[in-house]
Formats: sequence, structure tokens, C-alpha cells
Amino acid sequence: MTNTWYFTLFFAAALVFAGILGLLLRRNLIKLFIAIEVVAKGISLLLLGTGFAKDNILVAQTLVVTFIVVEVSLVATALALIINIYRQTKSLDIRQLSRLKG
Amino acid sequence: MIVQTALLIGLVLFSVLAILLRDLLKSAISLAAASLLLGIVFFRMNAPYAGVFEISVVAGLITVLFILTIALTKAGDEVRESRAVNWVFPLFFVAFIIIDALVMKGLLRKIPALASGAETGTFGDVLWKGRTFDLVGQIAVILAGVFAVLALFRKRDKHD
Repeated sequence: MTNTWYFTLFFAAALVFAGILGLLLRRNLIKLFIAIEVVAKGISLLLLGTGFAKDNILVAQTLVVTFIVVEVSLVATALALIINIYRQTKSLDIRQLSRLKG
Repeated sequence: MIVQTALLIGLVLFSVLAILLRDLLKSAISLAAASLLLGIVFFRMNAPYAGVFEISVVAGLITVLFILTIALTKAGDEVRESRAVNWVFPLFFVAFIIIDALVMKGLLRKIPALASGAETGTFGDVLWKGRTFDLVGQIAVILAGVFAVLALFRKRDKHD
């Protein structure tokens, strides 16, 4: 069981790190959001992997389902924001946002 | 064990591809493939409800939302990315994988986690009775999301 937990945590950490690297290196707003989604995948895997290893799969499942619902709300709001930003600046470049005032 | 590991490797590969690919549409599809693999991993961990949610909502709905946004912002596609991404990302990622492999085994004994013990009841019992407050939170979050989207796409009044 520990072996499974080790593999799950190992890959979850890799996913979270890949997402954070993407957030640091990319400039396209949609790309940044894809990186956030990758981090979210890592967190889901971490939650469920730990629940599986510790025989608490039902609680882990409820947590993952809650997390997915939150994720969907986040995605809908953020993509609406991105579309509005695009209408204002005609670009998806994150650096354009540094010129905003007020 | 081998199948599980192969699925997890595929998940990480598709996720990395989603970040590295230049074309946004290919990135979104790569992310959907990663979600699909994660859903299969959930099924194999005896978590069918989480698997169904992952495949239907994340691989389905979120991908549709991404593709819709990409279609609506087509002209803004050409953002100049820094050239460093092409070599910085793989370099740091491989370095992290090596550190991860060396450190994670030692960390396992030190990480506190939920206590082991057989659970009773079904998924429904745990969701409706054990974590009722989470459901209230979920409803609040969904409502907040709906109102946020409504506010963002509100038509301007004539006197604005």
C-alpha cells in the first residue's frame, strides 16, 4: 500500500510543480489557466491517493467531488474574465494588464 | 501496478504537453486527455463517483469552456512567449523529478494523514450525512460562479 501511496504522491508533486513552472514561464492568459488546471489535477490525485492508501476512500471521494465543483466555478468565472480582458485589450498577453489604472 | 504507473506517466506527459504546446487548441485537448487518464486512475482506486465527475465535468465541460474561449479570442492567439521556456521548463522539471524521487520516500513516514480504519456506509451516506456542510459550501460556490458570470457578461445600460 505504501508503494501505491509513494507513486501517487510522486506524480501529484510532479503535476503541481509542472503547473507552477507553467504559471511562472507563460504569458498567454489561457495558457496560465491551463497551468492552474494542471495544479488542480495534482491536488485531486493527492487527495484521492492518500484516501486510497489510508482506507478512507469515501471521505476522499467527497472531498474530490467538492473540489471539482469549486474548480468548475473557478474556470467559468476566470474564462469570462479572460474574454472581457480580451475585449478591452485585444490581446491575451498578461503584460498588457500591467498598464491598467484605477 | 504496471498499468497504474503507465496511466500516471501518461497523465504527467499529457499535462506537460498541455503547458508546452504552442497551439492553444492542442493544449486544451491535451488537458482533456490528461483528465481522462486521471478519471481512469480514480476508477482503478475504487472511486467511481470521483472518476465519473472527473471525466464528465473536467474532461467534458471544462474542455468545452476552454475551446469556446479559444474560439472567442482567436485573434489574440499570437502572444510572444519568452524563448527561455523551451529549455528552462524541461531543465527544471527533470531536476524536480530527480529531487522528488529521492526525497518523497523519506517524506512519506513524516507526512501526517487521515488515520487508517475501515469506513462504514456508502458514498451517499458520507456525502449527505458526514459532510453536509461541504454541500452548503458547494451550493454557495456554484451560485457565486453563476452571479460572477452574469455580472461579467451584463449588457451596459444606455446611460452608462
